[in-house]
Formats: sequence, structure tokens, C-alpha cells
Amino acid sequence: MFYRLSGVYHSSLISDSRMFKVPADRNLAVFLLLIGLAAPFILPSLYLNSYILPWLIWTAAALGLNLVTGWAGQLHLGYAAVMAVGAYSAIHTVRLGVPWEIALIIGGLAASVIGSLFAFAALRVKGLYLALTTLAMQFVMDWVLTHSPTISGGSHASLQAPTLALLGQQITSDAGYYYVALGWCVLVTIFMLNLKRTGLGRALVAVREKDFAAAILGVNSFYYKILAFAASSFIAGVSGALLVATFYFLAAPEQFSVNVSIQVLAMVIVGGLGSIIGSYFGVALILLVPGLVNGLVVTASEELGMQVNVETLAHIPNAVYGALIVIILMIEPLGLGKLYGNIRDYLMTWPFDQLRK
Amino acid sequence: MKTKRKVWTIAIAAALATSGAMASAQENEPIKFGLCFDLSKSYAFITPQVAQAAQDLAMYTNENGGIEGHPVEIIVRDHGNEPQRGVECYEQLKREGVFIYNFLSTPVTNAALPRAMKDGNILMQSFVGRGDAVDGEVFGWVFPVGPTYWQQAANDVAFIKGQMGGDLSDAKIGFIYLDYPFGQEPIEILKTLAEKEGFQLELYPVPLPGSDQSGAWSKIRRDKPDYVISWLLAGGHAVASKEMRRNGFPIDRYLSVNWMNEVDINNIGAEEAKGVLRGTNVAGGQDVPIVKTMLDTYYANGKGSGPESLVRDVYYNLGLAVYTTGFEAARLAIQENGWPLTPESMKSGYEAIENFDANGLMAPVTVTPQDHGGGGKTRIEQWDGANWVPLTDWSADYIDVVWEVIKESSAKFTVE
Repeated sequence: MFYRLSGVYHSSLISDSRMFKVPADRNLAVFLLLIGLAAPFILPSLYLNSYILPWLIWTAAALGLNLVTGWAGQLHLGYAAVMAVGAYSAIHTVRLGVPWEIALIIGGLAASVIGSLFAFAALRVKGLYLALTTLAMQFVMDWVLTHSPTISGGSHASLQAPTLALLGQQITSDAGYYYVALGWCVLVTIFMLNLKRTGLGRALVAVREKDFAAAILGVNSFYYKILAFAASSFIAGVSGALLVATFYFLAAPEQFSVNVSIQVLAMVIVGGLGSIIGSYFGVALILLVPGLVNGLVVTASEELGMQVNVETLAHIPNAVYGALIVIILMIEPLGLGKLYGNIRDYLMTWPFDQLRK
Repeated sequence: MKTKRKVWTIAIAAALATSGAMASAQENEPIKFGLCFDLSKSYAFITPQVAQAAQDLAMYTNENGGIEGHPVEIIVRDHGNEPQRGVECYEQLKREGVFIYNFLSTPVTNAALPRAMKDGNILMQSFVGRGDAVDGEVFGWVFPVGPTYWQQAANDVAFIKGQMGGDLSDAKIGFIYLDYPFGQEPIEILKTLAEKEGFQLELYPVPLPGSDQSGAWSKIRRDKPDYVISWLLAGGHAVASKEMRRNGFPIDRYLSVNWMNEVDINNIGAEEAKGVLRGTNVAGGQDVPIVKTMLDTYYANGKGSGPESLVRDVYYNLGLAVYTTGFEAARLAIQENGWPLTPESMKSGYEAIENFDANGLMAPVTVTPQDHGGGGKTRIEQWDGANWVPLTDWSADYIDVVWEVIKESSAKFTVE
């Protein structure tokens, strides 16, 4: 009824390698994209600049982490550090007088180099050991940032980002920032959608499932792991730079600390490893729900006229949010993306599948 | 297709309606103070006291006629020390008509500062954020009333100079600090002063979160500094006191940054802590008239904004200090420029504060368009086993040296 299909069947290789195998999915994606483009005109600016914009940038970042963790199966606990490399190198490059377009790419490349440099050392070990090595990278980066005023920008380690300008156009309005974030997020999403149907994507999945089995099949697992780290670090670097350029307006070490790394990982895991739509959901849950629940609890207590201590009031949302994560992972361990997938698969042939039973 | 268009029109109309309602300025609104605090994570050791102080003070002000007849409203929100949520809180309260903010967290205030500067909103930033923000010529909208860490460190050195007979040329001063921006901030000024006064400066970095200090203190035992200036926080003081006992360093030579409260003293042990020194710009204890008023009017009848135990904490006094100053600024602003209060008039209200000490609550502050810190006066207090006893008068020293550092740092900031 919704999807007008009796199931997904392919009669040619071309139809099998389509980006969207179900027309309804494609239509939905196009519809969402249109809403995204129209958002500045239909949403109040509060939602635009303090919810949607960070959501889009963090989604782009989470997709990058999903590439290395979800697709290539390498646990990464130092993702925020890579974002920091991108952010700081891009800002410093702009401050030297280089235009933002080039600076963003330089930021991405710098992150890519540092990220894969660590990957070289890290990839001699696997699993939890790799996770710990990437965590070490995070700490090294934290230390470098707090101990080198030339990088971190002096007083209380905050480095101001120059005004974002793309294609000769200064960007200062909420809508402008939003479109930059949307553009980057869409670009990363398209890249990830395509990754699924290329040899590279399949090689990464092979490496994830069993790296020596992949080696037997002729997939050089070391090469693909490095490639995954480099690509994901590039995405991280540009996302980090854009986060500072369009949202924080100045970079500080706390914005890229170890708990941020863990948050991004949580976004990916709650959203679903290897799921693109899941990353969108995961980021929304981890990033936005605490603030929203907080607002709800505050409004509720005001409406009910309860005299709740401010400290208690602050802890209730945390408990609700924690419970929410546990409940979601108990209902569907594969994350929100899989939850969405289940509903979609059920509706795919509904209600005609009922006839068969 | 037609229905779709209809839905769109309705959605657009609804959105326009809500945003229009938000934008309409209301007359006779209360004066709103936005407190976006970290009530659940790293800063939870201080924020409940400060929020409670602000609420008590607002209650007291409103019951006594408000600020020039206008009521005050305190809006408290939690941001969990996450910059993203702090920005969200800022943007949300901005639309509720708030233009006076306090974030009380260095990472979050840093994230909100560019927005406040761009929008022209008042940012109360006492004790957190970048130190060079006291430079009112650069940071026009930021009001970090109180001493910067630079000024505090300079005042500490001046105190030690006084204790050592006015000559520091043979002195050795140790500096133990948490090895991240908070603790590193005073180093530059201490180095400058070491050169100027000729004392020997020894640095003892301690890794976060300050629970492992054994290396630093065994080095202190070897170096034998005359005084140790400490930029540690919360639990760090208790660890330091144990190490001092183990290494035979007298606790009355331990001079702490303003972050040491009754909880820390209890953790060290009231008797064990006897003699410990603290630099502060706020008088501790409950003998201060305004704290007494709060205890008598509200807490004696169980009507306070929170538990009484939080009142018996120097950070409650600190909260009162921050908000009496803010209220005074609002009063001066309305007196001079009339109602309604705007960010511009609030700014000039702040800059008109002269020799204000909230009836003995804190060091007198004089805010000027150049100096948003109010002079940076502090005094040194000593714990006598039950109370904090002031050893010096409110004063600020080496002002020119400190301002050189401030100017050098603030020159790098431009409003984008």
C-alpha cells in the first residue's frame, strides 16, 4: 500500500545496483531533501540554528565514524581528536589568509594524515586493543591542545574562527550557516549511499566480517583499513571545521575532548552500525534528546506548579535519557536504524502479506 | 499535489504565527536573568549554591519592591557542561526575552561568547571563561566582575611579599596546578613577577583530575619553597593536604585559589585544615549582613529556595556577590536611562558601578568602560579551625603588570 511492491526483486544487475532499490525510498529521500531545503522558511530560527544545524553537522561526523566502525569494523575512540585536527588546521589556515574552501580541504587532509598515521600504528592490533590505541590518540591530542598556545590560541585556549566565506560570499545569517551544514551532510550521505554499492564498500564489509577470510579472497585488509581510517578522518576533519565555523565560532579543547569521542561512538551504536538513516536517528537521540527532555521536564514542572529543586530538575532528564538508550538497545540491539528498517520491511508488502497467512 | 500544497501553506502559516508571537516585545515584563548552568556534571560543586543564592536574592528583591519597581525573574536551566546545549539554552532564552546571561562554565561560556558579542547581550562571566574578557574596550558585552586568575595570582605574590618582609629576592615560591588551561593560566604572570621581584618560581603540574599528586609533593619536599600557591579544585585540596602531611610541608604555607569551600575543609578535616590560606574576593561565613538576612527571613521559616546547608557554603556568598552586582547594575541602568531595560542601558548600568561591596559581602568593585573586572581586589583569609579570618584588606597589586598581559591577550580578539 505504501510501497506498492510485493517485495524487492531484481531482474537485472543495473536494478540491483541502484542507490535506492525501492522507488518509495527514493521519493521519501527526495521529499526530505526538499523539506531540508525549505527548512529556513518553515522552521523558527531557534530550531534551525540550535537543533537542526548541529544535528546535521554531527550526523555528517557520525557517518564518518560509521564508515570506520560500522563498515570496516574498527572500533575508534579518538574520533573527536581527529575532528579537532581538522578544525584547528582549517582555522589556522584561514587565519593565514587562505580562502575557506581550500582551508576546509586542508583541514580534512590534515585530519586524514594524522588519523591514518595513528591507524598505521594502531592496525597492528585488533579489537579492544585497537580501541585503546585510538583512545591514546585522543589523550595525546588533548595534551597537545592544552599545552601549545600557538595551536590552541592563547587565553584560556580558545581560538576564534574567522567569518565563514564560501565562493566569495560571506556567510553570516542563520539560513546561510544552515545551508552550509545541509550541503555537507547531504554530500557525506550521498558518499555513504554510494559506498554501499561499490567494490570499496564490499571490501570494507569483508574486512569487518573476518579480515583473514577477506585476505584469502584477495582483499588486502591492511590497505582497506587504512583507507577507511583516512576517509573517515577526512570527513571528521571537515565536519569539525564546519562545526566551529558555523556553530561555535571559536574552537576550544573541551569541544573535542574524550567524552565527545564517546558521544559520537554512542551516536553510531545507538543509531545502528553500518546504517545511514540510523546515524541520523542516533545523532538526534544522543545530541538533541537531553536538551529536549530537559525542556519538557522544566515545562511540566512549571505547568504542574511543582516546587522542584533546580538540581533535582537537572538530574531527572539525565535519568530519562539514560533509560531511553537502555530501552532502545533492549528492544533492538542493532539500533534505531534497524528499528526503522523493521517497520519499513513490515510495511513493504502490507497489507497483502496478511492474505498469505 | 493540491493537498500537499495546502499542507505546506498551513505549515508556513503556523510557523509564521509562532515566530511572530515570539518576536512581539512585551511591556511590563520582569527583568529576566538567564542562568544556563551545569547542574549535573563538572560544575555541580558550585552551581546549586549560586543558583539558590540568585533565587533567594530575587525573592528578597521582589518582596521589597523589585528593582526600581520592576520584578526580577531568575530562569535556571541545565546544560550539563556541553557547549552545544549551552548554545541551545542561549538561543532559547534569547527568544524568551532574556538578555542577561550567566553560564558558569568555561567551555560553555567560551562557546556562547561569540554569539553574545555579536547579538549585543550581557554575558556575566565571573570566575569562568577567558581572563582577558575584563578588557571592556574589546569585550564590550562581557562582565567578568571579580578578579581574573592573573590578578588573583599577582595578589597572592603581593601577600607573600608582605609576609616575607617586603623582599622576595631570596624567596622561593612553588606553584602547584592542574595541568590544563584553568591551572596554566597564572603561569605567565608568575614568571613575569618572578623576573620583576627576583624570586625563584617552581612549577608543579598535576594531571587531571588532581587525585595523583605524590610526584609533585615529593619534589616540593626537596625544593623547600617558602610558599606554595595552589590552583587546584575540589578534591584536589584534600589530596594536597594528605601529601603535605606526608611530606612535612606546613599547611599554613599553602595558599589556595578562590575555589576552596566548606566542603573541601570538611574533607580535609576542620582541625587538620587549620592555617590553610585562601585568596578570595568574597567574604566567607554567615556573619555577612546579607547572608544573615537570608537566613533570618527565609531559612528560619523554611522558606528558602533550597536546603539550608547550601547557604552555609562560601559559594552561596559568591553567588550573592555575582547577583547583587548584576541587580545593582540593573538598578543604575533603570535609574539613569529609564524603563524598559535594554542591553545597552544594562551595559552602561554595569559601567556605572562604583565602589560597590554589597554591604561588606565582597571586595568593593568599580566597573568602568575599560575595566569590566571591577578592579580585581582580593584578600587573603586563613582558616582558624572554625572560621575564615581575613589576614589582609581588600587590595589589588601589580595592576600594570596584569593589564599588560590582559591587553596582549585581548588584542588577538576581534568581533567577526
